[in-house]
Amino acid sequence: MKILIIEDEARIAKRIERMTRDFFDKEVQILLSDSVENGLNTIEKQSIDLLLLDLNLNGEDGFEVLQTVVAKSFQTIIISAYTDKAIMAFHYGVLDFVPKPFDANRLAQAFTRFTTPEKTNSQDIQFLAIKKSKTIKLITIKDIRYIKGAGIYTELHLVNGRVELHDKSLESLEKLLPVEFERIHKSYILCWQEADKLIVEAGGKYNMLLKSGELLPVGRSKYKEIRHKLI
Amino acid sequence: MQTALRAFEMHFCIRYLFYLYLMYRSPFFIVLLLLMFSSCKQYTEYVKSDVTYYVDDENRPHDYLGKSDNSVFKVPIEIEILKRENKSTPLGLQVTAFGSFDVYWDGVFVGSNGKMAKSGQPEIPGTELTYYQIPEKLANKGKHIVTVIGTQSKIRDANRSIGLKLESFLRLHRAPLVVMSFMNLMAGAFLIAFIYYFFLYINSTRKEATVLLFGIICLLFFCLLIIEYVKFYIDIPYTHFYTRLQTVGLLTFVISILVPWYFMLQFSFKRKRLFLFLLIVSLLTIYLVYYGHYDYTAIYFSYAMCALSLIIAIDAAFRKIKGGLIVVIGLLASVIVNKYMFYDFGLFIAFTIIVLSMLYLHTIRAKALEEAHNASLLLSSRLQLELVKKNIQPHFLRNTLTSLIDWIEESPQQGVVFIRALADEFDIMNAIAEDTLIPIQQEIELCRKHLEVMSFRKEVCYNWEEKNIDANEEIPPAVIHTIIENGITHSFPPKQGCITFCLSFTREKQYKQYTLLTLAKNRNRKKENSNGTGFKYIKARLNESYGSNWEFDSFAIEEGWCTTIKIFDKK
Repeated sequence: MKILIIEDEARIAKRIERMTRDFFDKEVQILLSDSVENGLNTIEKQSIDLLLLDLNLNGEDGFEVLQTVVAKSFQTIIISAYTDKAIMAFHYGVLDFVPKPFDANRLAQAFTRFTTPEKTNSQDIQFLAIKKSKTIKLITIKDIRYIKGAGIYTELHLVNGRVELHDKSLESLEKLLPVEFERIHKSYILCWQEADKLIVEAGGKYNMLLKSGELLPVGRSKYKEIRHKLI
Repeated sequence: MQTALRAFEMHFCIRYLFYLYLMYRSPFFIVLLLLMFSSCKQYTEYVKSDVTYYVDDENRPHDYLGKSDNSVFKVPIEIEILKRENKSTPLGLQVTAFGSFDVYWDGVFVGSNGKMAKSGQPEIPGTELTYYQIPEKLANKGKHIVTVIGTQSKIRDANRSIGLKLESFLRLHRAPLVVMSFMNLMAGAFLIAFIYYFFLYINSTRKEATVLLFGIICLLFFCLLIIEYVKFYIDIPYTHFYTRLQTVGLLTFVISILVPWYFMLQFSFKRKRLFLFLLIVSLLTIYLVYYGHYDYTAIYFSYAMCALSLIIAIDAAFRKIKGGLIVVIGLLASVIVNKYMFYDFGLFIAFTIIVLSMLYLHTIRAKALEEAHNASLLLSSRLQLELVKKNIQPHFLRNTLTSLIDWIEESPQQGVVFIRALADEFDIMNAIAEDTLIPIQQEIELCRKHLEVMSFRKEVCYNWEEKNIDANEEIPPAVIHTIIENGITHSFPPKQGCITFCLSFTREKQYKQYTLLTLAKNRNRKKENSNGTGFKYIKARLNESYGSNWEFDSFAIEEGWCTTIKIFDKK
């Protein structure tokens, strides 16, 4: 596992690195970067699993960086002094916001959220950032009907009928998305408001009929849970 | 045909002028204009008199003086009473003449003015204007003879005629009182204005020339009014008759120079000297051309003054300077007043309007100054706040605390040193927070403490050097500190060695300069942020303490970054 720390204060960067190593039992590769520029270079060159980002780096506003990085496949945890920016960060779809000053426990809590497969809480995410021909586009969560896994990408099926590609995996998105999104299949996340009824076909195949008339497959293992929720 | 007492009716005009002046200043000029027009119409309608009489004014007696200084003159003048309306008060006779004389009405002695020269006794000079009561039994309709017998031993070349006027005796005495009550009211207002503006000038730190000038104009105007009407309550011997007129002429001359000068200063008019020179030349020309004609001199002086003031005011109005238009209107109003009114009052009302428009300008100016002052106070308190915020803003405080926790957890002894440095920086910040200028040594101490704190945070070695620092110099607080913050943010930490900050001071003939060199490799700056919040703070602080007498520059050099602050000696 590769973790990148972008932090301009040497002492704090070392502290984060030490605590990260302690948490992940030294099985991780940790990259350090003291500026936005270096950090982005690293992200381009290497695929990472987790980014620990400071929002204000050498006087530069970290939100531009944030927009760029949340479109990527890896998860982001913000470690910043600007606690008033926390809500904004969650809107952009970060996994957690650790306010400075922090201790090992608070950081561990953020890492736990990263390692736990299930959704741990309902969050304030309002946008998903996607990359479109070098620019970043923000998709409002309310516009998403369902999400389909497609290899290393995911397809966001929107209310207006369009389909956008996202770099994060279904597993990653599942952690970010609010409670009204349900994993109904290994390849599908559905927004509950779109669900109409559950259809059982011959041969033990389960399908979900959407209000738009489309049919989505429902995983065998998920069936009981979903039927329970529908009732 | 002649009717008496023009003076009576003017008081309406003057009274309204004063009410308006005291109550409303801005609508004053418009109302004043209307009032002027209406009062001009009323002027002829209201001139009434108790007596209608005829005297041959065209052929007044001249050359009645005898050949020697002591020779007695005897001048009979025919006067015809056409109508008397109010017989309850006695008839009065007004005589205007030089000399010492006795006055006879139809051969009956009615009074004397001064004492005639007699053999061995010199003349006791009379005054120019005298009133006599006519016995009621002699004041019938029809022709009468007024005989003036007397001597005139001084100013014999004046060649004055004898002027007569009939009016009820009561009105003759009351008329000057009415006029003077309003003129004295006006004079009092200007005296107070003079005293106020004079004190204002003495006690103000700015010592504005316009304030003093305005005060002087008010004083001169007060003097002019007093001298003009002093004849009604002091018996000036006819030998000094021209002294008063000369004084009035001199006062008008000075006022005619000062008023346009004031407008020039107030509207920051260009080519002041040229126009003042032209004005003085034209005033002198008027004086020479109309030498001896005191009334004309004063009128033409005021014309010259009005003309130049109008030029200045119109120029100001075109340049859209506040108050320019008001002054143009005021001046036009005074021109109209001058045109339609009898000289004495017309001139004074015109002057009053001009002085009032000057007063109005002054209030505008005072308001502007007050606003500027408030703005500067606001700026100062905002800068204070900015300074205090420097150390409590989350980026500084939370990052520092995070590093501090780490130091305490990892090496408590170093952590304590860190805390001490932080406490010291806070102490200095607290000490300087309310000052606008602090000793340079205090600023340097602040920078050193900040570098110490930052070296704990960044784990970079920061080096401080200084050259030629003059301990007596002062600098706005946290200015160098801000430059150092920027230097730390925008420099790459060196692989080996230290980032060095070097502050040097040089004094040249016209300015002093601080130069701060940051010796380090610069980070790439995304945008040219020469107007970032840090620089805004520095510039605002320099403005606060030095006005516009400073230069701030910040640029990359080969060794790193160079920031200079030039402070010019006051221009």
